Amino acid sequence: MNKVILTLFCLLAFKLTAHAASYEIVGQGGQRFPVAVSPLKNLGASTGDSGRLSTGIADAMVHDLELSGWFRVLDRSAYIENAQSGITLGTFDFKDWSTIGAEGLVKGGFSVQGDEITVELRLFDVYQNKERIGKRYTGRVRDFRRIAHKFVDEIINQFTGIPGVFNTRIAYVSNSGGRFKEIYVSHLDGSEKFQVTNNRTINLSPAWSPDGKSVLYSSFKDRNQTLFLFELFSGKEIKFTPQGGGRYLSGKFSPDGQSIVATLESGGNTNLYLLDRSGKVVRRLTQDAGIEVSPAWSPDGKQIVYVSDRSGSPQIYILDLASGKSRRLSYSGNYNTSPEWSPRGDRIVYTGRIGNRFAIFTISADGGESRKLTSESFDSEDPTWSPDGRFIAFSSNRAGKYHLYVMQMSGDNQRRLTGSGGDDTKPNWSPRLD
Amino acid sequence: MKSQIKILCYCTLAFALAGCAPSASTRPDTKGGAGSTPGAAGSGTDSRAGEGGRGGARESDTGASSLKQLQEGKSPITPGSSPLKDVYFDFDRYDLSADARTVLRANADWLKANSGARVEIEGHCDERGTNEYNLALGAKRAQAAREYLTSLGVAAGRLSTISYGEEIPVCKEQTDACWRQNRRARLVILQDRPTS
Repeated sequence: MNKVILTLFCLLAFKLTAHAASYEIVGQGGQRFPVAVSPLKNLGASTGDSGRLSTGIADAMVHDLELSGWFRVLDRSAYIENAQSGITLGTFDFKDWSTIGAEGLVKGGFSVQGDEITVELRLFDVYQNKERIGKRYTGRVRDFRRIAHKFVDEIINQFTGIPGVFNTRIAYVSNSGGRFKEIYVSHLDGSEKFQVTNNRTINLSPAWSPDGKSVLYSSFKDRNQTLFLFELFSGKEIKFTPQGGGRYLSGKFSPDGQSIVATLESGGNTNLYLLDRSGKVVRRLTQDAGIEVSPAWSPDGKQIVYVSDRSGSPQIYILDLASGKSRRLSYSGNYNTSPEWSPRGDRIVYTGRIGNRFAIFTISADGGESRKLTSESFDSEDPTWSPDGRFIAFSSNRAGKYHLYVMQMSGDNQRRLTGSGGDDTKPNWSPRLD
Repeated sequence: MKSQIKILCYCTLAFALAGCAPSASTRPDTKGGAGSTPGAAGSGTDSRAGEGGRGGARESDTGASSLKQLQEGKSPITPGSSPLKDVYFDFDRYDLSADARTVLRANADWLKANSGARVEIEGHCDERGTNEYNLALGAKRAQAAREYLTSLGVAAGRLSTISYGEEIPVCKEQTDACWRQNRRARLVILQDRPTS
């Protein structure tokens, strides 16, 4: 576990913004805030790792800042500051940075003791010649990128009033170029990639527990498809076996982590069931003879958005748990699937078909017009919200094979995350991690 | 359509029961009786079940389950010599077309003639659409085939279903022709169960 020590305190935000609406103020209309990220200084004894850590931490921050869509990171080759300059206020010249067009500047240093690293990072306002954030982190050397992610989350908090989402992980399915589909988790930048399953069958629909410690997924590893709950730290796994027969196709944890909504197929019909954490059925939620799949929770845990073909084609519905009543949400298009409810509560993202192609749409949870976020000149599927509801990750075949991408909830700044030799699909974004 | 010709061909053979395998020389002992060991007819992958279900209906007659084929690095294709033929579906549909019913009637005839065979019906989909919906759709396809077979008199207890959704395609190109091949219900003989 990383222990985070807050040493210095951040002062004012660059742009003081009203908390509620602030996420829309920065970066809209393609205007991005120009920042420079200086490679870190080694403040301790010189080690063989020094160069790798110096640029590695900076690179991880650059990746996150670019991915957010709110910043334009100035190219390192343009930096003119001399090597003797320091990393604290008064030990360097802001002109070295204003000259090259930087309005924000990230500087920092690190020292390594054994397998532990201490990193201090600062954000400066180049216009006002002031320090805005200063933090010190300690952690394992091999987790140095996490420290970079945490600091970028702080920077984004300064700019937008809401912390960023880069200290998170994505669970996904990959065939790694082979014929099996296995579950993986990794950070957004692809680091700390961990293979959850290795059973040489088909594993699907990974979903995080709200504490970020476990992944629920479905698998054919015991021949009949069912759900497994894998605890990442201990490697322990629980198998969910439907008491009355049938097969679990997928499951999603409720926001409070106490319940799971699962899709159960039995006798050709697929219905939604409410389970407790151990997999015991609490109650059946839908009673339809058709297909009811892809459930996802509202952030307050009171409603479930899902797909039903009861109208004759797959469409998005919302089930109110208290009343047991469902209402249809999507009316445009004849194939709408895989909905996920924004953690902010206002919108639902889903996959819709246009001709022979699939695109990502969002629609208000109250219904109305949907917004198409991706092009129909290729396929985009499996959307998942970031924990702050400002980004959407998805899979797309725009570069040939399926890879994972991230975009802003507006559809802006679509960027590729993964580049394995195979198809990466079914992303599920973790909650914020410690 | 080629498949229809094959079906007609098969039907004739099924009724005639002259052994519909391409190499009829390896016809197994059809009068082996209760005690005969299923599959005892050597390693012949084209050995055929005999009349009355007393012979060994073999997994190899239909090809193994698609999951097993995947694990072994083989295509989950149903061999042309299989006595149980695939049935095909339209996009996002699980109702049985007239063609599909014709194929299933022939499959039912074989199943009734080979009462020892236990069959798993696999539902498959093309790659379009989302994985989970396709798993549910595949289950519907398998169930539709199962219900039609039972309506024709095949004992329900002999027929199980499984859906592989879009996960184990038989064809991997992004073309209509390829997608059509993947939208299928496939019948796989699970194991021999000689009548006793």
